[in-house]
Amino acid sequence: MEMGDMKLEVQLKLQAYLDGELPDGEAQELAEYVARDADARALLTELKHTRAAVADYEADIKLPESREFYWSKIRREIQRLESVEPAAKPASLFLTLRRLLVPAGALAVLAIGVLITTQQISSQKVLNALETETAQADVFTYRDYDSGTTLVWLSYPAENSLADFSPTDTYQ
Amino acid sequence: MSEASLSSADDKSLVSAAKAGDMFAFEELVARHRDKIYARAYSMMRNEDEALDLSQEAWVKAWQRLKQFQGESSFGTWMTRIVINLCLDQLRRHKRQRAESIEALDEESGGVERQMPVVTVNPTERLERAELRQRIDQALNQLSYAHRTALVLHEFEHMEYKEIAKAMECSIGTVMSRLFYARRKMAVLLADLRKSE
Amino acid sequence: MTMTLSRTFPPSWLVVLPLLLLGWRLPAQVTELGQGAEQKFEVQLIWATNDKKSPNPKHKPVAPEIRKKLDELPLKWENYFEVNRKQFVMAKGGRSKADLSDKCSVEIKDLEGNQVEVTLFDKNGKAVFGRKQPLPQGEILLLSGNAPDKTAWFVAVKPTK
Repeated sequence: MEMGDMKLEVQLKLQAYLDGELPDGEAQELAEYVARDADARALLTELKHTRAAVADYEADIKLPESREFYWSKIRREIQRLESVEPAAKPASLFLTLRRLLVPAGALAVLAIGVLITTQQISSQKVLNALETETAQADVFTYRDYDSGTTLVWLSYPAENSLADFSPTDTYQ
Repeated sequence: MSEASLSSADDKSLVSAAKAGDMFAFEELVARHRDKIYARAYSMMRNEDEALDLSQEAWVKAWQRLKQFQGESSFGTWMTRIVINLCLDQLRRHKRQRAESIEALDEESGGVERQMPVVTVNPTERLERAELRQRIDQALNQLSYAHRTALVLHEFEHMEYKEIAKAMECSIGTVMSRLFYARRKMAVLLADLRKSE
Repeated sequence: MTMTLSRTFPPSWLVVLPLLLLGWRLPAQVTELGQGAEQKFEVQLIWATNDKKSPNPKHKPVAPEIRKKLDELPLKWENYFEVNRKQFVMAKGGRSKADLSDKCSVEIKDLEGNQVEVTLFDKNGKAVFGRKQPLPQGEILLLSGNAPDKTAWFVAVKPTK
């Protein structure tokens, strides 16, 4: 069934009809048109099928990181930003000693710039250090090269045989 | 808020506690909505790393703007809009780096989708869920940024045409054509007709 | 530039300096050779929580050295308690196993090239996780996972002298 004969305008109206975006009067007109035109019905059916096919797509997408790792990066960034913000506020002393502090301020801005850049690099490094263990699912490895620490996190789901494995719980 | 009560609290209570500075309450909100927020970023970006980064950035922004959230919508909806905006910004940056002429050509012509024969096969009947998911993944990867974004915002976020137009900074007519082309192309790709063309 | 260097560092320094360096490094080399017969590791079972105190009075906060390493990691817990600590001594290339708790034991196998294989066993003696990687002196390997009530466990393995 070729669609070349149907004007684009009509095709788009059919779509708007499906999406409930047509005013009532026009919707009624379209309904009548669909009832008497096989091409329109076919196109409408195709659009409906596509909409139904993709409807649950996102429900199957799961975060590929454990809750702890995902959250820890968020928390660190929040804390980093909160520790940077107060430093940017000018102190009242700055007003009275403004003339003397102009050159010092310029140097301070430069220093803060360097500090922020360093922190961003450090933050990026943390992100880069995170890698997914490919051999075993639900295992994440974090490597901190500076301190020589390797953290292996077993993020297992409840149905996994590891679920019962909790070495410390008898001690709580 | 104690740890025991976190899991039983509703989003509204958690938001109130988080507004007061309770980071554990905020973590609980992250735990509840992280898959959805990540999924939306992934749908739009088609890249796992970018989706992770942007979804985490969205949570950081949410913490900073929490006081602005007055409960007009659900917390999940509010969060989703934050991640969508971040993704749109990122996609615009990507777009600036790509050859605009190719994008424009694709945009204007809509490829050949308008002229394509109607697909009569219902993909949901023919395919297993996993296979369908895989095929949707492949199809979404093949859509242009503009077509995919219109589709995601409409089908997954259920935004109206005018809302999409505002988000994508284009006219309602453009949204309609982008959405139409995206759907038609998806129909073909899902029905696997491309090989036989 | 070459003239300046030759004046500052006469040729005799070029002989003395390597000798000094060798003299400084040699005892360490000899010590390492002498210690080659056995391998030592320290293993700690650690419980992570946001509670300030552990319900078990026997638990002590972890040593500052490991606390520092834990603080440098992207982890959410505020307090870490040492549940158990075991010393492992084995022949080079050998293996050793010990219980860390009622529910967990650990085996360490020394491998070539500073590599170790660490295996965790559950209460039934079934191996639940294994990890093989280089672990030279000064480095630490942490195997970890969730524990009840939003706490976590860590098995810290480090080579000792």
